[in-house]
Amino acid sequence: MQSKLSDIELIEQTLAGNQAAYADLVKRHQRFVFTLAMRFCKSREDAEEVAQDCFIKAYRSLASFQGQAKFSTWLYSIVYTTAMTFLRKKRVDTDSIDDENTYIQLENQSSGLNNNMAEKRSRSYYLNQAIGRLLPDDAAIITLFYMGEQSLEEIGQTLGIDPNTVKVKLFRARQRLKEKLEKSLKDEVKELI
Amino acid sequence: MNTIEERLWSYIDGTCGEEERKAIDMLIANDEAYRAKFEELLSFDQELIKMEADEPSMGFTYNVMETIRAEHASQPLKSAINKNIIKGLGIFFIAVISIMLILMLSTLHITPARFTVHLPDSVKLPDLKNLLSGKVLSVFLFVDMILALVFVDAWVRRRKAKHALKS
Repeated sequence: MQSKLSDIELIEQTLAGNQAAYADLVKRHQRFVFTLAMRFCKSREDAEEVAQDCFIKAYRSLASFQGQAKFSTWLYSIVYTTAMTFLRKKRVDTDSIDDENTYIQLENQSSGLNNNMAEKRSRSYYLNQAIGRLLPDDAAIITLFYMGEQSLEEIGQTLGIDPNTVKVKLFRARQRLKEKLEKSLKDEVKELI
Repeated sequence: MNTIEERLWSYIDGTCGEEERKAIDMLIANDEAYRAKFEELLSFDQELIKMEADEPSMGFTYNVMETIRAEHASQPLKSAINKNIIKGLGIFFIAVISIMLILMLSTLHITPARFTVHLPDSVKLPDLKNLLSGKVLSVFLFVDMILALVFVDAWVRRRKAKHALKS
């Protein structure tokens, strides 16, 4: 059962040495942090690693949290920087992988997709698929806006950009998502025919 | 705002101004194409609102807390010590030494003409000649030598380890 205390109260208790209060804070935010990490990492294992890393980093610097912004906004900015660092590192690592390995990976992925054919494919399934195909920044903005219920200003704080830029990016991200979703649905109809 | 979509998204998100909102209200009411686009975007918006967050593995919280606990356990003693306690001990010793000095100086009788110090009759200094006899002195120097060698050895080892890490 999750605690009814506010984030700030849980933080105060954690700083006073109560680790169980931090466990409550983790439970409260883990789903969204994990989802946000998934927007960058694409694989569950990597996303889980990034999400765990974020909570550990947040714990280490909890004393520096000023409480001026919402805890979630502060936490999401940690997720964003951690995920970006992870992606940069991953890019360096994957550059060294030869084409043969990449081919095997792609083949395995497509066979995984075939296995999923049996799964019920609702519109929300395609929506998640389409978000997965977006650029990480676009996917993160949409996730923060809709799932994180963050305002344009808060998203700006998280990503370190101006709220007006967030507005423009959100508009473009939604456009791209709509296009990808429509394409996925068209492909599905063609497959069925 | 340029395109119809941009205007409508601002309207749906509630980020447009009052005048702009009224203008769009009018357009939706009177313009068929505008209304169709608005309904299309609104239903897409509703779909996005209904999106559900992914669930991490069952042991997620446990793994995070275990890592934090392990980190705490492996924390070096240097960073685990409360600095306030050290400061408190320091203040205590300085206060004790200061009080002792004041008490000692108040019991001394100093004659400025000859710069000689007359201790009270109750205070008797130990005989230094007996203390610094040959045996005591050699034991003291021997212990000092051993300590110096231990410190030099530790210092050389640290330097070697640093060099090894760099290379």
